[in-house]
Amino acid sequence: MSNLTYGQVTKDVIRPLFTPTKMYFITLAVSVSALMVGAYCWAIQLMNGLGVAGYEPPVMWGVYITTFVFWVGIGHAGTLISAVLFLFRARWRTGVYRASEAMTIFAVMTAGLFPILHAGRCWYAYWLFPYPNQRELWPNFKSPLVWDVFAISTYLTVSAIFFYIGLIPDIASVRDKIKGTGKKVYAALALGWRGTDNQWRHYMAAYGFFAALATPLVVSVHSIVSWDFAMASTPGWHSTIFPPYFVAGAIFSGCAMVLTLLIPMRILFKWEDYLTIWHFERLAQLCLVTGGILTYAYATEYYIAWYSDNPYEWGTFIYRPTGDYAWVFWIMVTCNCIIPLAWWSKRMRTSLKWLFIISIFVNIGMWFERFNIIASSLAHMFDPGAWVYYLPSKIEMGIMFGSFGWFFTLFLLFVKVMPMVAIAEIKEGVRPPLSTDEGDAA
Amino acid sequence: MSTSNVKGVFAHLDLLMTAIDRLDRAGFEKPVVTTPLPRHDVEEALYHGKPSPVRWWTLAGALTGLTVGITLTSFTAMDWPMTIPGGKPLVAIPPYVTIMFECTILLGALFTTLGLLFHCRLPTTGLPEELKDPRFSDDHFGLFLAGLTKEKQSEAQEILTTAGALEVVPGGRSE
Repeated sequence: MSNLTYGQVTKDVIRPLFTPTKMYFITLAVSVSALMVGAYCWAIQLMNGLGVAGYEPPVMWGVYITTFVFWVGIGHAGTLISAVLFLFRARWRTGVYRASEAMTIFAVMTAGLFPILHAGRCWYAYWLFPYPNQRELWPNFKSPLVWDVFAISTYLTVSAIFFYIGLIPDIASVRDKIKGTGKKVYAALALGWRGTDNQWRHYMAAYGFFAALATPLVVSVHSIVSWDFAMASTPGWHSTIFPPYFVAGAIFSGCAMVLTLLIPMRILFKWEDYLTIWHFERLAQLCLVTGGILTYAYATEYYIAWYSDNPYEWGTFIYRPTGDYAWVFWIMVTCNCIIPLAWWSKRMRTSLKWLFIISIFVNIGMWFERFNIIASSLAHMFDPGAWVYYLPSKIEMGIMFGSFGWFFTLFLLFVKVMPMVAIAEIKEGVRPPLSTDEGDAA
Repeated sequence: MSTSNVKGVFAHLDLLMTAIDRLDRAGFEKPVVTTPLPRHDVEEALYHGKPSPVRWWTLAGALTGLTVGITLTSFTAMDWPMTIPGGKPLVAIPPYVTIMFECTILLGALFTTLGLLFHCRLPTTGLPEELKDPRFSDDHFGLFLAGLTKEKQSEAQEILTTAGALEVVPGGRSE
């Protein structure tokens, strides 16, 4: 980045806002089509009821909750990169944090759809919020599901604020470059930002506090999501290892998703100067660490189950790799524990092709991890007479597919209207124009 | 009464810093400086390490959130006092910590936002026209002095020019 100038940074980052390529429209069309598939399946579910979702007692949580946990997990890497790495002053964060934060917001927005889809009667979704009913009864604040509502709402709100505040100076840059009617929209969104000393002073203080407030959320949100499971006495769920295990898994999957999103963006928008191999290598290393923790957690789960001497717990853990859901278990192990080991090789960490391919495997593996936890435990609980083999229905799979369409559509639309690399922060990494430089750097 | 102002545009950071320093020595009030990125050296030169009051908003928000979390969970439990078997308490702190924590973070963030908007006076359209220069969000630095007398205006122009400003634009209006 040493050869860049402030003016060049503004120009490069804003460029994609004005020049949509053919490839961009094709990708958008594919995403919208996937979204339509999901919308169609949801319409069928609304007309026919939750029966079409393939639930079969006792398996009353299936693909929707799996996909909910998957998307919440994806969000975590964004907050880790934007908040935690900001506090640790990790320089490599600058290039990738805007896209990661956008990913967080859209992933949590996607996740938020699933409790509504799963509850069936979406028009009563407001029942989730804490307010007393007509008999003046409040929700039970001791319930993990109520904790989850608080966790997800807080996470979405804080991430959205953090994201928007980070965008304001960059929106002001776009406002000053653009002409026509769009200028008015950017001017309104920039809130009159002019980068005065007073504004920057309070801005930097507030930004630090947002980072400090968002940091514990990285750990807390997925811990609370894990308690949706761990607080129940279901075999395979009732374990104290769940919070750290879920948090590590969330960061692992989120970093993989950042790779999946940023590698095509780098090619599409010619951002080789901003999204360098160095950035991607850092992400792959983060995946290696969190993937290692995850593998260790899988092993520890087995140890805990064996050491507990509880036949139901141990039975579930034997059932997972050998029973009906063995294929799910082994996809999970292969994609999360074995394939990412390739990143120990520097060649694999620095090849865009392999980074992208492995990141896709991790995404798949992490979805199957959640399916493995949910389906195999519920289908194989205490009473052998109640054991079933649940498989997702077409409607469930359609809605899950649609959620990817929804996520990518939001992301692609966002790329088109907002700077996806933080202009002001990139400039912080660029040598400022000095009169002592040869020639005019500005 | 008429007031005069001066706007200086700088292409180089070191020259801007020189101008800020010379204005300070000459006894001018703090100028408004615009930069396309946050610069700690500019902040230090203008505020001499005085921290932003936004931190008090964060503290107030976090404490309010914690109080909301405690009262919401305990008061609603006591509002419908049930006898829970096994000697478990009606107001159980460990499961409520989650709600308290989330409320602390949520209100801490919301209050910080309010504090930021309040101290930055955002949203605004009221800043001087001279500051609305598109170069200031791109690759130039701006310096603006307002409320000057005619003599002070000339002195400021002189200081900015000798410091190496790319442009020095005097302005003003009669009131």
